[in-house]
Amino acid sequence: MNIEVKNLCFAYKAQSEILKNISFGLGQGSFLSIAGPNGAGKTTLLNLLSGLLKPMSGSIKIDDAPLQSYSIKQLAKKIAVVRQEFVPVFEFSAAQVVSMARTPYLGALAFETDADKEAVADAFEMTDTARFADRPLNHLSGGERQLIFIARALAQQTPILLLDEPTSFLDMGHQVGIYDLLKKMQIENQKTIVAVTHDINLAAQYSDATLLLAADGTYKFGPTRDVLTTERIENVFGVKTFAAQVGQSRFFFPLGKYGKGSRA
Amino acid sequence: MTDQLTPRRLIIKIALCLALLVIVMFVCSLVGTQKVSLRAVFAGPGDEPGQNIDYDIFVRVRIPRVILAALVGAALAASGVVLQAILRNPLAEPYILGISSGAALGVIMAVMLGLSWRFLGGSPLAIMAFVFALGTVWLVWLIGHLAGGSGITSLLLAGVVVNAFFSAVIMLLTSIIDSQQLRSTIFWLMGNITEKDFSILFLSAIFIIAGIAGLFAICQKLNVLTFGRQEAQSLGVNPRAITLVAFALASFITAVAVGLSGLVGFVGLVVPHSVRLVFGPDHRQLLPTSALVGAAFVVVCDTIARTIIAPAQLPVGVITAIIGGPVFLLLLARYSKKVGSLR
Amino acid sequence: MKKPLAILVAVFAFASVIVFVIRQADHKPAKTTNQANAPQRIVSLSPNLTEIVFALGLGERVVAVSNECDWPIEAKTKSKVGSFWQPNTEAIIAAKPDLVVCETFAQQKEVAETLKRAGLNVLSLRVESIEELFTAIAKIGQAAGCPEKGEQLVADIKKQIDQIRSKSSSAGKVKVLWIMQTEPLRVAGVNTFVNEIIELGGGQNAIGPTIDQYPSVGTEEILTCGAEVIIQSAMGTEDIAKQQVAAEKFWSRYANLPAVKDKRIYVIDPDTVLRLGPRLPEGAQAVAKCMHPELFAQPKETKQKND
Repeated sequence: MNIEVKNLCFAYKAQSEILKNISFGLGQGSFLSIAGPNGAGKTTLLNLLSGLLKPMSGSIKIDDAPLQSYSIKQLAKKIAVVRQEFVPVFEFSAAQVVSMARTPYLGALAFETDADKEAVADAFEMTDTARFADRPLNHLSGGERQLIFIARALAQQTPILLLDEPTSFLDMGHQVGIYDLLKKMQIENQKTIVAVTHDINLAAQYSDATLLLAADGTYKFGPTRDVLTTERIENVFGVKTFAAQVGQSRFFFPLGKYGKGSRA
Repeated sequence: MTDQLTPRRLIIKIALCLALLVIVMFVCSLVGTQKVSLRAVFAGPGDEPGQNIDYDIFVRVRIPRVILAALVGAALAASGVVLQAILRNPLAEPYILGISSGAALGVIMAVMLGLSWRFLGGSPLAIMAFVFALGTVWLVWLIGHLAGGSGITSLLLAGVVVNAFFSAVIMLLTSIIDSQQLRSTIFWLMGNITEKDFSILFLSAIFIIAGIAGLFAICQKLNVLTFGRQEAQSLGVNPRAITLVAFALASFITAVAVGLSGLVGFVGLVVPHSVRLVFGPDHRQLLPTSALVGAAFVVVCDTIARTIIAPAQLPVGVITAIIGGPVFLLLLARYSKKVGSLR
Repeated sequence: MKKPLAILVAVFAFASVIVFVIRQADHKPAKTTNQANAPQRIVSLSPNLTEIVFALGLGERVVAVSNECDWPIEAKTKSKVGSFWQPNTEAIIAAKPDLVVCETFAQQKEVAETLKRAGLNVLSLRVESIEELFTAIAKIGQAAGCPEKGEQLVADIKKQIDQIRSKSSSAGKVKVLWIMQTEPLRVAGVNTFVNEIIELGGGQNAIGPTIDQYPSVGTEEILTCGAEVIIQSAMGTEDIAKQQVAAEKFWSRYANLPAVKDKRIYVIDPDTVLRLGPRLPEGAQAVAKCMHPELFAQPKETKQKND
């Protein structure tokens, strides 16, 4: 088992429980989407998986060892995290940012070896961002920046990749491009991908398994085609959808009350 | 991938900056209110005191001053780099978290109590400034910790609270000490480079260089830390531990500098900023080069301070402010434009 | 964690040893002075010490003074080595002195340390009471190789002061308020040398014991202190008449004080009183005159001692 979660409970201080008794497991090379309405706890779950938060009860195991047993450095060699893109205070270049992924592998003198440089070069190639390498991060567009952060996660060469809404502010082209890249990582490199997403259709298209979190703490975990049904979506999101099968995947079109697609 | 930092490139840059510093130090030691001929200096001290005044002035006055100025400048610039990284704010400077008010309190108390013992040749004012500066930093860390983890917001708040409280105490004490003591205190705090014992210079150099070396060891981690605690942890850096180590070392070398020369302003703010503009934000490069540039900067400022209104002299803090102020405004204007273009 | 700590301790130990060795090497033995090797090039860093040196008849041997040294007239013509607060170490060394006299407060102490390291003969003196003045004169006399002149000067000053004291003892004590500055209002307290001068002239401080020497005093205290005489030391020596007018105006608001009612407000020249030096008798006389004008008619002229 690559990631194993058992009876996970979590609440922020002085608030009601956000996650109640969540259990699921992923083998190496899985693609999981975590979906749900705002405030359901998706990002919280991701932070728990990456070791930033401590669960109230329950356990998380990475490669059959408890999460707490890993040191920060060891964990960084297992899990890479891509959060929503942002601009740092100081003007690091894209190459410098991607190189920071090699931190857990650097020796005492903290300079990059040839192996490190190779990992960085590979990451640039995989994301097709080599042409940005010397540009300061804040001279790039949002989409390009996000690609750089993904390149950084790839350069970290971890078996697990956690992403928090990696395509929220990006255009269609970048959205599909990034998910294609993630799928490729899963298929070719056997990485386990866990992506928090707002976009049901991206989840439907790309992920093999889906964890649907509801605002009241209930959840459904399983293969995507079992979890994502119009009925369940209406219960969790409060929105009617029209499902259509395209290729091997089902797509869901949200129908608003007053929109032109409404049947009323 | 063209300007990646390699050990060789870094060593070359450091060597260049070091050469610049040595040249500046040498030239400045030849400048002063009295004319000193280099040839006379090499003739040696002479049997009677006062026989070779060129030697006496050069060795007893000029050289110690230049060395002290370099040490203070290096410590303050290095500390500024680190604090700007920890607080993720290019406007941070070494005195921001309690050091200045702590040192001031220590000095006032030393003056009031009329302390006269000397430790390893350091004056009681210097020792008290050093001890109180460190104690205040420790207090700020403690309060920040108790208030809310070791996040930078709680640190900053603790710093503000401690500064306010100490300032009030200082005002109280200032109102009851007599004018000569008051003048001594203010003068000491204004930032003065004076001629010190070689043993003190040696000891301080060891402390400061060791501190800077320690900070250099965590420079790559500081790079990562500037992306925030969450990002740092995901990349394998323990944000709490690194922040603590960086803060402790930076405060230590700042306290040594304050003990040596009082509060010399602007160096810790302007030098890291300017060097970052030229050399980029990679701390493995930024730290050593800032330290060397900071050293040269204070040496030059002190030389100006002691010659421009000869035979009187200005406190070096006046010159660093006069030069540093406008430079800082220019940088601020430039930096603000960038902030405006951020999301 | 263990290894870096061990390295740190080793470095510190090594450094301490080096420091100790350097300091031992720097230590120079003291020189004894006698008539044969009496200092011929004296530098004084303080106005009152300069006055003492000149009063001992050593004026010709003075090669440099601080900016503020203006008494006697000859002192003004000597070359300057910086100010009282910031002596210029380089200039002092360049003057090749064989005796430097200075004070003991922080700034001058630092300079003294540097000069001592350069091998110069430095005499640091604390002059903050009349007794310390006598000690200082004796020490300067000894250091300059003329101890008998020092003793003579001390005896002279003592005699004149004792005269003033015995004269004033016949009259009752007058309550005196001594003003150091008016904004904010600061007075001279009871543990100052100013108070010593007040008392020997037949006066008593209107303000009781305070923690610090020159405290700032509130309006209430002033109104109830019952001062019969107000003495204000002038700021600088110019326009004393103007300052007198301004002072009378300032004090008119405290109309209930006997000093104001009887118009006994005096602004006096600060140099003879606040500069604790050989002109002390002259200053004490001026102060005594303010308090008991009927006993002390004419202020004594300071005799310029020729040598």
